[in-house]
Amino acid sequence: MALEARDLVREYGSVVAVDGIDLKLAPGEALTVFGPNGAGKSTLLGMLGGAMHPTRGTVSIGGVAIDPSVTSWRHRVGILSHRGFLYARLTAAENLRFYADLFGLDDPEARVAQGLGRVGLTDRARTEARHLSHGMKQRLSLARALLHDPEIVLLDEPYTGLDPSAAAVLRNVLGELKDGARTVVVVTHNLREGLAMATRVAIQLRGRFVWEGAANDLDAVAFERHYHETIEVAA
Amino acid sequence: MSTAGVRRGGTALTLIGLAGLIGLFWLSFFWVSTEVNQGVAQRIFYVHVPAAWTSFMAIGISALCSGVYLWLRDERLDRAALAAAEGGFVFATIVLVTGPLWGKIAWGTYWTWEPRLTLTLLLWFIFLGYFMVRGSTEDPEKGKRFAAVVALVGAIDIPFIHVSVLWFRSLHPQPVVAKAEGPTLPQDMLTTLLVGVLVFTVLFFGLFLMRYALEGLRAELQLRERRTSS
Amino acid sequence: MSTYLRQLAAIVRKDLVLEFRSKDRLVAMGAFAVLAAVLFNFSLDNASVRPRDVLAGLVWMTLVFGGLLGVGRTFHLEAEDDAFRGLMTSPAPKDAVYLAKVVVNFVLVYGLSVLALGVFSLFLAVDVGANLPGTLLVLALGALGFVALSTLFAAVSTGTTMGETLLPVLVFPLLLPMVVFGAGATGRLIAGRPFAEVAGNVRVLGAFAVAAVAAGAVLFRFVVEE
Repeated sequence: MALEARDLVREYGSVVAVDGIDLKLAPGEALTVFGPNGAGKSTLLGMLGGAMHPTRGTVSIGGVAIDPSVTSWRHRVGILSHRGFLYARLTAAENLRFYADLFGLDDPEARVAQGLGRVGLTDRARTEARHLSHGMKQRLSLARALLHDPEIVLLDEPYTGLDPSAAAVLRNVLGELKDGARTVVVVTHNLREGLAMATRVAIQLRGRFVWEGAANDLDAVAFERHYHETIEVAA
Repeated sequence: MSTAGVRRGGTALTLIGLAGLIGLFWLSFFWVSTEVNQGVAQRIFYVHVPAAWTSFMAIGISALCSGVYLWLRDERLDRAALAAAEGGFVFATIVLVTGPLWGKIAWGTYWTWEPRLTLTLLLWFIFLGYFMVRGSTEDPEKGKRFAAVVALVGAIDIPFIHVSVLWFRSLHPQPVVAKAEGPTLPQDMLTTLLVGVLVFTVLFFGLFLMRYALEGLRAELQLRERRTSS
Repeated sequence: MSTYLRQLAAIVRKDLVLEFRSKDRLVAMGAFAVLAAVLFNFSLDNASVRPRDVLAGLVWMTLVFGGLLGVGRTFHLEAEDDAFRGLMTSPAPKDAVYLAKVVVNFVLVYGLSVLALGVFSLFLAVDVGANLPGTLLVLALGALGFVALSTLFAAVSTGTTMGETLLPVLVFPLLLPMVVFGAGATGRLIAGRPFAEVAGNVRVLGAFAVAAVAAGAVLFRFVVEE
């Protein structure tokens, strides 16, 4: 298994954000997790990416349980959140160069140029991030997340607040990720975009997966109805 | 040991400690001879010094438990660190109250930068910081880790503070404190002091165990509440 | 160059670039040093206090208060756009992050203390030229110890609901050794005493700085863990 979670639990004091989630994803699979705000989707993604420590349970990458205090496996994971992880006073190229150094990439200049080209920002290399439009910033953080060519890609609400051009770039780049070698997890409440990139789908409510299925034999209209019924019943 | 067992042990030790405290008071008021230079006021020494000893032992225990907690993440270690810190805070407060009372009568001023008194004052603030970080975090796990860091750094810093207050005093002449200690201490004073140290240590561990058991019960209650609500 | 050093250098370079572009902390801390000197000047009665005798103490107090003002904001730089999470999920070891922050804060706080020395010397008309290299060394060791502790606890206080308000309560009790030995040594060097007389102080300051940096590097990972 490329990415595996076993009985994952995360508590904040007396609040249980993730309450026993199991998942197994092979290379080439893309899981989209839908759920309303407060379902614990971001917490799940945080634990899968090693940003948060699980209260109980384990996450394994390539069959090896990850230890958030060890850094070696972090090269294999790329994280894109709706927050960009960018420094406003660094230029586009400097932002990427910083990450290239953190990930210890060989030939960082070439990687930065390649990353900028991939999201169409080559001519903005020397612009400070604060002067970029919102869509450009999102494209830049996409380039940042994929700079080290990770085999596991975690996306937290990637389409939130995107302008159409950025959404098109994102769709393109995510399409490139479907090369059979990568594992993708997306959490979102955007049904249309979420379904488009998924091979598997789950609905998360109150920290648990209440529904799971394959995406290819899914009727989008029926799923949409099912999803809304599920979250209404819960509310 | 079960929580109930710890609680019973804590209660027993506390009762022994309280009984010992009555004995200590009897010794220091009626039995021990009066110190020649300072007179009756010096008798506060038999409370002051054992309380200071206990508060420094407490930061040691708290830091030790904190360090192992960060390593093993066993909740019981955090509870022990907290219980020790609370005990230490109380005993440091006793030192800070008895010190000036003694000082006023012995050398005419409430506060002097006497090294051990200064050290206790800073220790008191380290404990205060310990409780403040615990109280001001939304995620209790984070509060436990923060507090553990405060206790550990505080304990590492104390030898440095000790050296610095001694050095500071060597430069700045202070009112001479007739320290009744060391080999020159008459036998009956030494006996009373040692009884004091023993009594305060027993009392500390009694309170420590009771407080530890209380935290255990609180955690158990939380767990049950969560089970019934889900 | 090993990966560790490359990561450390990348964070240092990034922070210095951000610092010099925004100038927020540079200006705030620089202004603090000058304004503190102005206020201290008017708070002293020149008839009864000789500036020469209190200068070292004032410089050290400026280092502590002004330094805390700047160091308290160490992690605000990372807070916008959640950049700190990006740093934390990168392969950079947590101790490298801590050491990089210490280096950057050291540059700022040491700069502040040297500026304070100069400004106080100017305003209070005290010649600090005697033993200047020794004085600068003492300030450097003091600034390092100060920064090591305050950077660690800035991470703690940033994670609490009280924020920077908590920082003095956590850091001041721990700073006593630094202030005692640092101000003591600085005072004597300014008074023209030979460096050999304060060698013991310098050793303790050095040991304090080393212990503080080591403790911070080990403990930082527990503070920033989510």
